[in-house]
Amino acid sequence: MGKLFIFAVLLALNVSLGVGQEPSNQLNQYIDAVQRSTHTNNWAVLVDASRFWFNYRHVANVLSIYRSVKRLGIPDSQIILMIADDMACNPRNPRPGQVYNNANQHINVYGDDVEVDYRGYEVTVENFVRLLTGRTQNGTARSKKLLTDAGSNVLIYLTGHGGDGFLKFQDSEEITSQELADAVEQMWEKKRYNELFLMVDTCQAASLYEKFTSPNILAVASSLVGEDSLSHHVDSSIGVYMIDRYTYYALEFLEKVQPNSDKTMGEFLKVCPKRLCISTVGVRKDLYRRDPNKVPITDFFGSIRPTEITTGRVNITLAEEEDFIEALLQQEETNSQHSNFNVQFESQFPKDLFN
Amino acid sequence: MYPGRKMANPLSIFCILVLLLGQQTTRIFTQTVLDGTGEGLNENRKQLPATSTKNNNGKDGLANNEEYHEELVVQPLANGFVNTYFQFTTRWRYGSKENLHNTRLIPRPIAEILLYSDVKEFHITLTQGLWRYESWGYPVQDAAPGAEAWSWFAGENLTESDVDEQWKRVTSTFSGIICASLNFMDKTNTITPQYGFKPQFVSSSTKNLTKHVRYSSLPREIVCTENLTPWKKLLPCNSRHGFASLLNSGHVHNTNYHSLGIKFRTLCNNQDECILEFTESANMVYDPKLVGATNNLDFSLRRMFGQGLNGHCPLADSSKVYVNLELPLPYEMTPLPQYNITSTRGGQTSHYGVYDIQKLKDQKLFNIAWVLRKPQHQVLSPTPPPLLAHRNIVGYGQEKGKIITQITNNYYNELPIVLQENIPWYMPVYIHTLQIKNHKTGELIQPNSLQYRPGVQRTRPYYLELAFKIPSKSSVEISLDFDYIFLKWLEYPPDANHGHYVGSSVITTQLTMARNYTAIPLSGYRFSDSFNATRNSYILTIRTESLILSLPTPDFSMPYNVICLACTVVALAFGPIHSVATKKIVVEQQDSDEPRSFVGKIMRKLKKKNKNSPTIDGEAENTLTSSSSIGSEKVK
Repeated sequence: MGKLFIFAVLLALNVSLGVGQEPSNQLNQYIDAVQRSTHTNNWAVLVDASRFWFNYRHVANVLSIYRSVKRLGIPDSQIILMIADDMACNPRNPRPGQVYNNANQHINVYGDDVEVDYRGYEVTVENFVRLLTGRTQNGTARSKKLLTDAGSNVLIYLTGHGGDGFLKFQDSEEITSQELADAVEQMWEKKRYNELFLMVDTCQAASLYEKFTSPNILAVASSLVGEDSLSHHVDSSIGVYMIDRYTYYALEFLEKVQPNSDKTMGEFLKVCPKRLCISTVGVRKDLYRRDPNKVPITDFFGSIRPTEITTGRVNITLAEEEDFIEALLQQEETNSQHSNFNVQFESQFPKDLFN
Repeated sequence: MYPGRKMANPLSIFCILVLLLGQQTTRIFTQTVLDGTGEGLNENRKQLPATSTKNNNGKDGLANNEEYHEELVVQPLANGFVNTYFQFTTRWRYGSKENLHNTRLIPRPIAEILLYSDVKEFHITLTQGLWRYESWGYPVQDAAPGAEAWSWFAGENLTESDVDEQWKRVTSTFSGIICASLNFMDKTNTITPQYGFKPQFVSSSTKNLTKHVRYSSLPREIVCTENLTPWKKLLPCNSRHGFASLLNSGHVHNTNYHSLGIKFRTLCNNQDECILEFTESANMVYDPKLVGATNNLDFSLRRMFGQGLNGHCPLADSSKVYVNLELPLPYEMTPLPQYNITSTRGGQTSHYGVYDIQKLKDQKLFNIAWVLRKPQHQVLSPTPPPLLAHRNIVGYGQEKGKIITQITNNYYNELPIVLQENIPWYMPVYIHTLQIKNHKTGELIQPNSLQYRPGVQRTRPYYLELAFKIPSKSSVEISLDFDYIFLKWLEYPPDANHGHYVGSSVITTQLTMARNYTAIPLSGYRFSDSFNATRNSYILTIRTESLILSLPTPDFSMPYNVICLACTVVALAFGPIHSVATKKIVVEQQDSDEPRSFVGKIMRKLKKKNKNSPTIDGEAENTLTSSSSIGSEKVK
């Protein structure tokens, strides 16, 4: 299918370049553009670590990012969404199946198409670390695994209640910044990422990326150590805060991004200045080799298409049709040979017990 | 090998067949009833010559061995509610096991489960809300609150531990497929029922297979959009076309009761030719007063589901809406059904109107409305169904409790009952306290059979299965004592004060009359198979409520712990500081060897009289030097 797509692209390219002077040159430029990116696939791990109804805003945070990355092209199979509590179908939610990130109810971030991979009690520090390091238990479903490789760009988004050097999970346990750094280091050693973008929206969020030593990590945090991250606004009709400030402005930025737009990570890191956020957004760039101002935002929030460039001719005719028909007729024949289908069901009630 | 060649296969085969073959085949189904409980299925297939008829819509494309049906049943209930039941059935006569590699309408993960494990039958339901048997009658498919699953495994030389491992794997797989926490179904909450769940699959009788069943439930499991989305993705037409387009999250989760179900089973004959039946069902009960804009009991498809029906799934062999015509209120229906069906089943006659969506001319958002001519606020009180059950916890305090299950038989005959309990390990019950008591007369009923496997803490649940008879027109109470226990610190969930859930018990009985009974017969697979399906007896399964058990819970809150800790520190510090601040060292003018007892003191006085002691100063010195030792201090 990938080749088919490329062939179509090339065809279109050829048509458009038909009158161009140096088609081969342009083609090479196109090939360069496609192959310039350093990664081959995109993954996102989006975590809401807070339970309880009053933490509605954290679920809205994580769903906002989920909505954005899905819109920009990361498929559900490559998004690991962890939500510690059920807000959409919570008995306290007067709008069942819906979660809004704004009191005006512009966007239902829960939508009609959502796949939560870890939910409720499954959201634990253990499961999170197992997920990152790829040490999931035997028999874990494929959709609950982070199947990344050395070519994966991974976006990790964390939201919840944090403190200096930790993030609370479910209000009952914590992951420390050292544990997080160790898990990421293990990911690097196991070649489980190419580049990693960590985005944290918690109080004292910057403390979570302090201990990182692994390369190719870009991190942004909603507040520095010693600062609180604040929520944006309250919806008085349900009596809870809707969304946190940093994610609100990040979402505002992301909503303007299209899969083909040329916004960069550098611009994204400037989102939510102190006058809007009230807290200071912290950025850590020293582990990251590239200049964020030259990295397209879609390197982390979008998804790269699996492309192979070919300049040769591709034959896309279907397989021999006669083969299918013959196989089918054969099957028909075998079917008609055993046209009787007799089965006998077992007794459905232990009648003999009552005699 | 070109990648395009491989990918295009299933669809292209289908299209080519449609164009080139254009043949039609007819099937004649005959169902034979062999005896009361055991049902037989005898399916004869007659094939007409390929040239005799032309079929242009080509639904029976691929060798006619796969069929797909969409059904919707709308049934206004006695107390003003409306029951809607969706069923999507795919039936694939796949022949031998190797063919499972190439799926068409059946989702690939399901075929893979059959390929790589010994699962022959699997049921799962995800339910929110409680089915009210008293006023709603019996559902087409009964389900326990939360998540419930059971599965049959059959294979040669299959051991119990193999089955346990496969059960763990298949629940984990489904946990991924439908985004639910089914991976929590492990050995701590899984039982092996003996009577309640019988195999609905058929394996070839030529092989010597051992059959095993596993059952588990997660009463706490929530059901929301993340379950509905993947559930819809398993359907051949997804949610874009056909009846599934009516299932939109906002209009499913605002209902009083909703239940999503997935089940599949295999039927194999002695030639080792097999059929795979894959059924997805959705059952919702709407309150017309809530869904409508006006506060009356009128309702329509559009009001309930938010939109009209946008035609049918092009892959479906049949797409029919059945509406029950026994209306509790004088509704007028528009448009009128295309035709009516009268079904007589077990002495019960019911009338259904049928809308064949595939035969509709104008397929733009088809709607059916039920309108009351005169506004009516009084609704009929329903006739109670033959068997009802309730369960609750009684007792006070946080030491001992009792579960009481009350089963009521409104039938004119005595009913055989099988009661199945899956009690979690944190609710230790005492089997010697088990009592089955006739509620009215107070006499005890002896069970015909009792299966019990005691639970082990943190390892396995308590399993109890009882078979007994309920006398006619009476109710019995089954009671069982249990203890409230403390858990270990880390075993409490993050919201420990919410309480722990105890799953429903499952009650199975055999009715001789099909009053309120709408379940699909064993040999059938569509809802329409329940029409005129008279049998000698009908297996009825109902579930009780699930329970919340408030175990004694330590206070995990931070302020409480801070206060406790701070108070301890203060108390520990207060003692020494207070004593240091208030203590005074006093020198006692007494002999260090002064006897304590009364007799001793007298003896000493007598001795003093005899001797004139000259060394009082010396004694004083002695006591002063010894006052540095703690023993002689006196605190005032």
